[in-house]
Amino acid sequence: MSFLAPFFLLGAAAIAGPILFHLIRRTTRNRTLFSSLRFLRPTPPRLTRKSRLENWLLLLLRCLALALLALAFSRPFFRQPTPPTSPDGPARRTVVLVDTSASMRRPDLWNDAKARAAQLFREAGPGDQLALVTFDRNSTLQVSFQQWEAASPADRATIAIAALDALQPSWNPTHLGPALVRAAEELSDTDVAQDAVRRRIHLISDLQEGARLDPLQSYEWPKGIEVIPEPVKASRTGNASIQLIAEAPDADRGTDPAVRVRVSNSADSKREQFQVRWASTDPSTPIPAPLDLYVPPGQAKILPVPVPTNSATASGTTNLPVANRPSSLVLSGDDEPFDNTLHVHPPQPSRLELLYIGNDTVAEARQPLFFLSRALPETRRQTVKINAAKPSSPPTPEALASARVIVVTSPLTDALSDSLRTRMESGQTVVFAPTGPDASLTLARLIAVPGTTLVEEKPTRYGLLGELDFRHPLLAPFADPRFSDFTRIHYWRYRRITTPLPTNAVVVTRFDSSAPAWVDFPVGRGRLVFLASGWSIADSQFALSSKFVPWLYSLLDLAGSSLSPSVHPLVGDPIPLPPGRTGLLAIRRPDGTSTNLPPSADRFTGTDQPGTWWIGEGADAKPVAVNLDPSEGRTAPLSMEQLEKLGIQLDAALSTAAAPTPKPAGTPPAAEAESRQKLWRWIITAALCLLALETLIAGLTARRAVPVQDPA
Amino acid sequence: MSIRSLELRARAVVEGFWNGLHRSPYHGFSVEFTEYRQYTPGDDPRHVDWRVYARTDRHYIKKFEDETNLRCHILLDRSRSMEFGTTGHTKADYAATLAATFAHFLHQQGDAIGLMTFDEQVRELLPARHRPGHLRHLYHAIESPAAGTSTQLGKPIERAADLLHKRGMVIVLSDFLADPAELEKPLLRLAAIGHEICAFQVLDPSERDFSFRESSLFEDAESGTTLHIDPAAARAGYLQRFNAHQQALASVCARVGVSWHPLVTDRPLGMALFDFLQDRARRGRIIRRAS
Repeated sequence: MSFLAPFFLLGAAAIAGPILFHLIRRTTRNRTLFSSLRFLRPTPPRLTRKSRLENWLLLLLRCLALALLALAFSRPFFRQPTPPTSPDGPARRTVVLVDTSASMRRPDLWNDAKARAAQLFREAGPGDQLALVTFDRNSTLQVSFQQWEAASPADRATIAIAALDALQPSWNPTHLGPALVRAAEELSDTDVAQDAVRRRIHLISDLQEGARLDPLQSYEWPKGIEVIPEPVKASRTGNASIQLIAEAPDADRGTDPAVRVRVSNSADSKREQFQVRWASTDPSTPIPAPLDLYVPPGQAKILPVPVPTNSATASGTTNLPVANRPSSLVLSGDDEPFDNTLHVHPPQPSRLELLYIGNDTVAEARQPLFFLSRALPETRRQTVKINAAKPSSPPTPEALASARVIVVTSPLTDALSDSLRTRMESGQTVVFAPTGPDASLTLARLIAVPGTTLVEEKPTRYGLLGELDFRHPLLAPFADPRFSDFTRIHYWRYRRITTPLPTNAVVVTRFDSSAPAWVDFPVGRGRLVFLASGWSIADSQFALSSKFVPWLYSLLDLAGSSLSPSVHPLVGDPIPLPPGRTGLLAIRRPDGTSTNLPPSADRFTGTDQPGTWWIGEGADAKPVAVNLDPSEGRTAPLSMEQLEKLGIQLDAALSTAAAPTPKPAGTPPAAEAESRQKLWRWIITAALCLLALETLIAGLTARRAVPVQDPA
Repeated sequence: MSIRSLELRARAVVEGFWNGLHRSPYHGFSVEFTEYRQYTPGDDPRHVDWRVYARTDRHYIKKFEDETNLRCHILLDRSRSMEFGTTGHTKADYAATLAATFAHFLHQQGDAIGLMTFDEQVRELLPARHRPGHLRHLYHAIESPAAGTSTQLGKPIERAADLLHKRGMVIVLSDFLADPAELEKPLLRLAAIGHEICAFQVLDPSERDFSFRESSLFEDAESGTTLHIDPAAARAGYLQRFNAHQQALASVCARVGVSWHPLVTDRPLGMALFDFLQDRARRGRIIRRAS
């Protein structure tokens, strides 16, 4: 038997204590009351042979317990020869977990990480099993245990190093929690007897503060899996980062557009003075002067940066086209450049024309046009221009072509109906909401189903929308139960379609009498939205309800002119795509390459780099600024206590980063053998049992003993 | 109860105990007036109140209380050392019972009983009386708990000599665990007044034999001081000093003329009293013969 801490054996000398106490204790235990001590003289306590013999069992138990405690503290273990099956030590299953997040783009980190991983691969013994997992936002198994086993021992390291060499740090954030869970599952998910092998995870990462550990909160770390952190350290400390934050709530009211950015400086930074300036790919674009900024270490500041929308020329100011505007903010004054560029596309006011064809005027306060003109006010982001026309004086073909949405509330002439149908086939949206019963012919011509008839209906008191299809884009914004209550809208009259509907028509809502209320008729590339009851006061309360304005916006979205608030996706985030597309959608990456997406795709998930992504082609192309995750900028080192708090078994002592000690060949190191055998636990248990027995015996003895004098 | 069965009173009359006890200085004459009574022929004309006759022209006899022949004072030690006992009752219990017994039968035979309790000083003093409620006061005083921290017999006896002028009998109940030399002078003074003094020393058997076996810390009942004592080693020395003390006490008592009665608490009380009465009877005979 050997000892890890033999000095603790000296503690066994404490046995002298109980022996001494046993010798002298009896003499001082009893107190006897006596009437007067005037005839007594003190006699010294005597160590009699009798007192030693009386409690010999207790004495033995106490001495034994002390000796066992001293033995346990000296951490004994047996030096066992290593099993002959693995000459280089016990079999090990190791997952090498390599960080490929954006923060690894800092100079030298990636090369350092690769070198460490390569060293691990080369040092692996023939009995060892290794797997390589890389992680950033996602965890990827690069080399599995099966691939490692399948390769010949000589080639294994080469295969793994080659797999690692093919990789580069991505622009993704560090999701360390899911990666550790993945690696632990790789190690647990094995048919090998798990007690016989050592299972370890070598975590090669910059271990930055911004790493996300969320899934570990709810994950019970499997027993026997050790994590060996191997942090790679950057040559420079400190980092500042720039981040786009939400616009102020009253941003729409201002006249000068500005973006708000937060500049954070890490606590270990040595710099305090920074500059924020606009940058553009086009050298001819005028750039405003940079803004100076003072951010002390460990603090952050929020800064509004005016957006340069105009350029001063000799003839005055001109509005810059979107593609030529500066699209990124650059933070200078920081040592680490990887997170210093913020791509920004301030929302551009989108212009949209809406053509209204009806017999009423804006001044008639109970008619549809009145409500329509007030529901779509002009804001900094959007301008909806409403052109009104009467059926008697039809709009010009140019006016028809330029309108994205055409709203019709009165019967049309056949010629006008036909031209509207042509517009729909070319992709425009027509809303037909007749206010009277005499619109059968117009509807029949618009949907090209002759014989379609409409009958005016008046419910006894009022009608309600009874059946709503919230999957339809028109109702999708109301799908949340908080907004899905349409029962407050009363309908006084509506028009029932008496003939069967075409098969491709989609009934969006029905009245409680089961008559269709809103019907979506696809026509060519466009569509006709038929409302059996409009929003004039004579028809319903729809225009007065809180649903009307959101419904109009979802109608505009359906028509392909998204006015929804701008999104600020991060690298890896999906970008929602405009619905109702009919052809392929081109996506242009920041590096110039393009991808085409089918019409069925409702989102684009391949945002793998920061920059300006263009959705669509030509003049319709919309820029989307994709940025680096702000948490990547928090490069201060992550404290190991945080990992330990989450239940992860760390083995910092064996980390190669902490001065590796050469192992004696043939036998495992003493600490390793001792930690595996854990004899001290059994010895402590035995000592506790002895003490319990001692307490029991001492208690019984004390109860039996007569406490005071016993005169004859 | 055992005392009643002994019929001590009859025995004392037969043995002439009362003669010894009744040497009252007032010769059958009482000063305690109780009532007037009409004279009837045959009454002693000495008792006719002539003043009343002069005022009312009638003969009245002046009636007195039963004549008291003895005034007895019991001096009871209530110090802490009396609270010690190994026989199931303490010395204080024993002494209190003894005092009550004396009080009871002296009261029954019409004598006046007084009580003085003391520790290092006089605690309670009840003058000698013979009245219906007096006995109850006495019992109450006897039963009050002991409070003293030390025994100093000299001072209380001196104080008794100051207070008790009329001749009578003084019974001292104590363990007498105090310096005998301090006792001699106060006792002499008390005896000189004319009191007859009986000293009862109440002892526990363990005080007499020192029969402890296990060595332990011995704590003084009065002062609380502790001494480590191994009884086997200390017994011989103890007995030697204890016996010397007893002899000194006995010699002091013999010199002063105090009758000395060591009592051990394991002895029945009746037996102890019986011995005492026999001793009293013997002394009475001696006195009578001497007179």
